[in-house]
Amino acid sequence: MFSVVGPETRAGSVGKLPTAPSRAQVAWRDLAEGAARSWMWVALALQDIKLRYRGSILGPFWLTISTLVMVVAMGAIYSTLFHMDAASYLPYLGIGLVIWQFISTVVTEGCDTFLRAESVIQQIPIPFSVHAYRAVCRNLLVLAHSFVIIPIAIVIFGPPISWRVVEAVAGLVMLAIDALWISVLLGMISARFRDVPPIVGNFLQVAFFLTPVFWPIEAVGGWKRLLALNPLFAAIDVIRAPLLGKAAVPTSWAIVFVSTVVGCAVTFLLFARFRTRIAYWI
Amino acid sequence: MSYLRVRGLSVEFPIYQGGNRSLKKSLLAKTTQGNLAKDARDRLNVLALSDINLDIEEGDRLAVLGANGAGKSTLLKVLAGIYEPTSGGLYATGRVSALLTASVGLNPDATGRENIVLRGMYMDIHPREMRTRVDAIAEFSELGYHLDLPVRTYSTGMVIRLCFAIATSVRPEILLMDEWLAAGDARFLAKARRRMADFVGASSILVLASHSIPILEEWCNRAILLDHGRIVEMGSVKEIAAAYQQAA
Repeated sequence: MFSVVGPETRAGSVGKLPTAPSRAQVAWRDLAEGAARSWMWVALALQDIKLRYRGSILGPFWLTISTLVMVVAMGAIYSTLFHMDAASYLPYLGIGLVIWQFISTVVTEGCDTFLRAESVIQQIPIPFSVHAYRAVCRNLLVLAHSFVIIPIAIVIFGPPISWRVVEAVAGLVMLAIDALWISVLLGMISARFRDVPPIVGNFLQVAFFLTPVFWPIEAVGGWKRLLALNPLFAAIDVIRAPLLGKAAVPTSWAIVFVSTVVGCAVTFLLFARFRTRIAYWI
Repeated sequence: MSYLRVRGLSVEFPIYQGGNRSLKKSLLAKTTQGNLAKDARDRLNVLALSDINLDIEEGDRLAVLGANGAGKSTLLKVLAGIYEPTSGGLYATGRVSALLTASVGLNPDATGRENIVLRGMYMDIHPREMRTRVDAIAEFSELGYHLDLPVRTYSTGMVIRLCFAIATSVRPEILLMDEWLAAGDARFLAKARRRMADFVGASSILVLASHSIPILEEWCNRAILLDHGRIVEMGSVKEIAAAYQQAA
């Protein structure tokens, strides 16, 4: 299924064996063949979700409810703390939290991309990228469930709906691409270095408080320009601001583009170099 | 026409242990020239296969013999494309199916029915196609109503039956097998043997690793003997079996 296929060679004609393709070509083929098997990773992702919520009546809508509870609870406290009116703060917080949850699970589970597929990787030759596509697809499905609360919040609290929604969709697409390279990159690093997952976990906890997820970026006054450089904030901002009918912080789109391009490039180089080592690492 | 060509192939396993599994220690070792964190460098390499040269042609049924740890499973995994050779080359035309371990890709929490589809996906078969085979697999594996229960409730024999039925429901081109599939439990055996004959007969190339000489003599027409990761002898199954038993 995953072999080097070359021109026909007759028995004994050793001299005419095909030359092996370059590492970059093989890596690219892995990504392309993985993408072509969308039926495989979509079904695997659905299976993941189904098994995770087997035996619960609400199923994945537990996520919707837990997000809702969190938004209402935090909304009540922080709108008072920040002296903001709940009607504008709740949608801001809701979108921020939903997207943060997505980023945070992508990063945490990204460490596990290849490790959790250990038995499969060591027994069956399927493209490595399938495992990453599966992780991204699973988390997008989870996101879709908790995202339900956002239209509700928008309808209730009524920020103006405008053509900017298109911008938010573009932001989501970029986020999905980011999720892919993060899953591959962290998956590889964690397969090799087993202390990376806890380090990443700590980093995420700190990042949650340092990133304007639940507090408005205006609240920091002069520090705003510096904090706006945080790529995590930029990724949230290009989705959240348009949904609230506002313009994103001017630098956000540039940061999103740069971090996506750099992330993809670095990941591809490392993937091309170390792809074949993954089976040895896990 | 299917074939497999192996040229000067070696596989070295790095043994990761303790310190070199740690990013922190590996970084420390780099920046302090290894003074501070010596254990980050305690990397051992095990040479699992060394300078393997092998031509496998259409119609070949190759038996792989060797003591435990001689490199039989590693050879199968390299041929399957799971491990990239550390040096040397591997060339293949034809679809390679690897049946190395019984329970791979099974999800213990999913039902037997779901696992048939799941396992099929790992064999690169679309769920739609796999669903059409569920009834045949159910009948052959004799699991009855158990198919609707989670696989973790199965006995070992039931798992083997399910895996055997799924694995042999495809038509392989190049078939790489470890001995589990050729075994099977006593009551199931006669039926399994007939199915096995069809299954192996349909493949254009078979590579079978086993310790059981009768099984190898039944299925194979060529043999190699591995020792410490090298091919020490190559020939007919009879000759190699004799050499293997002499060495043991």
